[in-house]
Formats: sequence, C-alpha cells, structure tokens
Amino acid sequence: MTIFRFALKRILRDKTNVLFLTLFPIAAIFLPTAEDGWPLLPLGYQYFGILLLFVSIRLTSIMIEDRQKGVVKRLAAAPVSHFNYLWQNLLAFSVIMIIQIIIIISGGYAYGHELYEPWNLTILYLVFMFTAISISLAWNSLYRSKESSFLIFMAVIVLMALLGGILFPVEMMPVVFERIAVIFPTYWLSEGIEWIVFGEDRGDFLFINGVLLLYALFFLIIGSIRRIS
Amino acid sequence: MKELATIRFIGIRMSRDFITMILLLGVPIILITVFSIILGEVEGLSGTPIRDETVVLLVLGFQLFGGAITMNYVHQDLFAERKNRLLSLPMNTTLYGFSIMLAGIIYSILLGIILITYTTMVFDVNWGNFIWALLVITLMSSLSSIVCLVFTFSVKNFKIAERLSEVYGVGMILLAGLFFPMPDNALINMFNDYVNPLMLAYSSIDQVRSGGLSDGWLYAALLSVLILIAFGLLLLTGRRRMP
Repeated sequence: MTIFRFALKRILRDKTNVLFLTLFPIAAIFLPTAEDGWPLLPLGYQYFGILLLFVSIRLTSIMIEDRQKGVVKRLAAAPVSHFNYLWQNLLAFSVIMIIQIIIIISGGYAYGHELYEPWNLTILYLVFMFTAISISLAWNSLYRSKESSFLIFMAVIVLMALLGGILFPVEMMPVVFERIAVIFPTYWLSEGIEWIVFGEDRGDFLFINGVLLLYALFFLIIGSIRRIS
Repeated sequence: MKELATIRFIGIRMSRDFITMILLLGVPIILITVFSIILGEVEGLSGTPIRDETVVLLVLGFQLFGGAITMNYVHQDLFAERKNRLLSLPMNTTLYGFSIMLAGIIYSILLGIILITYTTMVFDVNWGNFIWALLVITLMSSLSSIVCLVFTFSVKNFKIAERLSEVYGVGMILLAGLFFPMPDNALINMFNDYVNPLMLAYSSIDQVRSGGLSDGWLYAALLSVLILIAFGLLLLTGRRRMP
C-alpha cells in the first residue's frame, strides 16, 4: 500500500488542494434551496456532481504529472505492476472523495436540509464519483500536460452539466437536445436525483446506477491503458 | 518605441495559443448557442427578452477572464522562462509589460467583437448601440487585464495569482446572481450596484439600449473609476516586482 499512502500524501501536501477539497463541499451545504421548485434538491446538492467532476480531474492530474516527469517509466522498471500503481492511486482518490460525500450528506442532514433519502443519495453520489474518476482518467490519457487537460476539461464539465440537465431541466430543451442528453453521465445523475425526490420503483434507481457504473467501467478501461512515453 | 512594435509578435503568439482560444471563444459560443436555443423568445419581467439579458451577461462575463492571457504572458516573459533573455535586450521591460497588456486587451476586445457579431447575426440579440457595446467591452477587458496583473505582482507564487484571477471572475459572476439568486442583503446589493464590474457593464449596456444614455454614461464612468483605482494599484505593486 505504499503507492496508496504516497498518493494521499502527495495530494494533501498541496495546500490549495486541501482548501479546494474541504472548503467547497462545506460551502455547498450552505447553499439555499431554489424557490421556484427546480432544482428539486438544495442547490449545493444539485451542483455537487459538477464539484465531483472538478475534484476528480484535479486529483487524477497527479497521474498525468507522473507521466510528464517520467515516473511512469521508472515504475515500469521497478517491481511494481501497472495494475498495482493504478488501483492504489484510484483508491486514494476514491477515499478522499468518499470523505467529501460523507461530509456533504451528514452536513446537510445536520443542517436540516430536506434530502428525501440520504442513503440512496449517498449511493448515487458514490456511483457518480466512480464515473467521474474514470472519466477524468480516460480524459487525462489523451493529454501530455496537465494544464491543458484541466483547462479543456473545465469547458467539457460546463457543457456536460448544461446539456445533461444539471443546470437546466432537460424538459426545457428542444427535442434534439433532450435526446442527445442521454449520452451524458450527468443526465443520469440528474435522473437519479429526480428518482430520489419522486421515485417509487426501485428498479429505476438500479438501472440509473447501472448505467453510471457501465460508463465508469468503459472509461476505466480506456483510461487504464499504460502509456509510457 | 520598439517595445510597442513587439505587439505584433505577441499577437502572433496569442493567435497560436489554441487552448486559450477554445476557452475564451469556443466555450462561450457553445454556451451562448445552447442558452439561446433553450431560452427562445421568452420575455422577462422588464419586457426585454431573457435571451438578450443572459447572452449579454455571458459575453461580458467571459471578458472577466480575458486578463488571464495577459497575466500568463507577463509571467512567462518577465518572471519565468524568458526572463533573462528579455532582460538582456536593449529595451525597457516596463514598457514591454505594458505592450503585453495592450496586446492582451486588444485580443480580448477582438474576441468580444466576434461574440457580439455572432450573437447579433445568428440570434438577433439586441446589444443597443454597437459602438457603446464596444466601449463597454473595452473597459471590461482593460479592467480584467489590469486586475490580473495586480494579482501577478502582488503574490509571490504565480499559481496563487492564477487562482485569485479565477476567484475574481467566478466571484463576480456568482455575486451577480447568474448561477443562483443571491440573498437580498444590503451589502451584496450595494456591491452589485456600485462595484461589481459585470453588473456595471451590463447596466450600462442595458440603459443605453433602452434609451437612458445619461445613466449609461454614469455606469461607464463608475467602471472607469474602478479601472483607475486598479491602475493605481498596478503601478504601486508593479514598481516593487518588475524586474
């Protein structure tokens, strides 16, 4: 578990990271509930998916840094398998994000927000977190420098949030957009949130999480290919 | 004035910086397109279509980030990679810094003009008077460049300066209530009425397009006062840090 420990240390050594990782979920707890009936959950919880995407791209950037600095090359010569390197890093990212999810859910509960079904919401966020990590992993594998990867992903996040129905209800969009929305993982997140508020059929919730997990698996496979040079 | 002649080369460098171009031109175009399609022709409470409001705010909001280009070039040329090379040249680094700023401002204005033209031609957004909109865009991009440079000079670590510039951009948009309505707090309202550059610029354009030229001037003047204050700070901080 050396790599895991080391990944945690590397992330938490950066002061901006610590600030970014703690301050934002806490701030999200205190965002108000929308007055005109949409978003259904308090704003902080509606936008938490966007935050998860941001956090995941920021955390996975240490892997791109490894590639930039040639650490991956050295690892290839060391008696550590790529698989070990990958899962220990991913575990470190997940642990940090799980803590964030626990903070926001328990904080919201203590603050007195109406969260409908906190446990299911936690599950939804957890599943979306895996999707977010694997998307950013796959995204990072397309780039050589972490700056350009981060900057362009920022734009992609905004687009995904917009077209996936996190910033706007999908029903408000023209029919074409409504159909396209299905391909964005954020769409499934907002569907999941809708289920948590209105849903009755357990199967729907399982289906939503299944789609998100499929996305996670798909991007994980793309992102986990070793790129030494 | 050989320093000013470098503007051309800075311009060429900027035009090859595709990532910035995607972020400051591609993203707003996509956002504006999506928003305009979603909002359609719905009219707001005050009678102006919501689309006119949102699109103008978006274009002005992206001007808040225009300063990031200036900031990066000043950092690269005067503090990091090219510092020693530029110091060995027979030219005034301060003036060179100003010419980078000028190039950044012009670049940002150009992006603004492209966006204004796009929104007017494709979505028929009402910008009121084009020249007035251009003036406001100029003020906004100057302010953003100057503020970003103040950040660069006042903080030792460039990473923090970059974050501060993002806080400036996102913070102003947040306070203007674009993400979600702000609480009705006297302090926030006052800030939006008299200090927030985004709201000042928007009010100025909004006043002029609904015929209140004198109020438009008032807001533009307030914006200019902000620029003057920021410029004073720039001179103060720049004197200490310029190589």
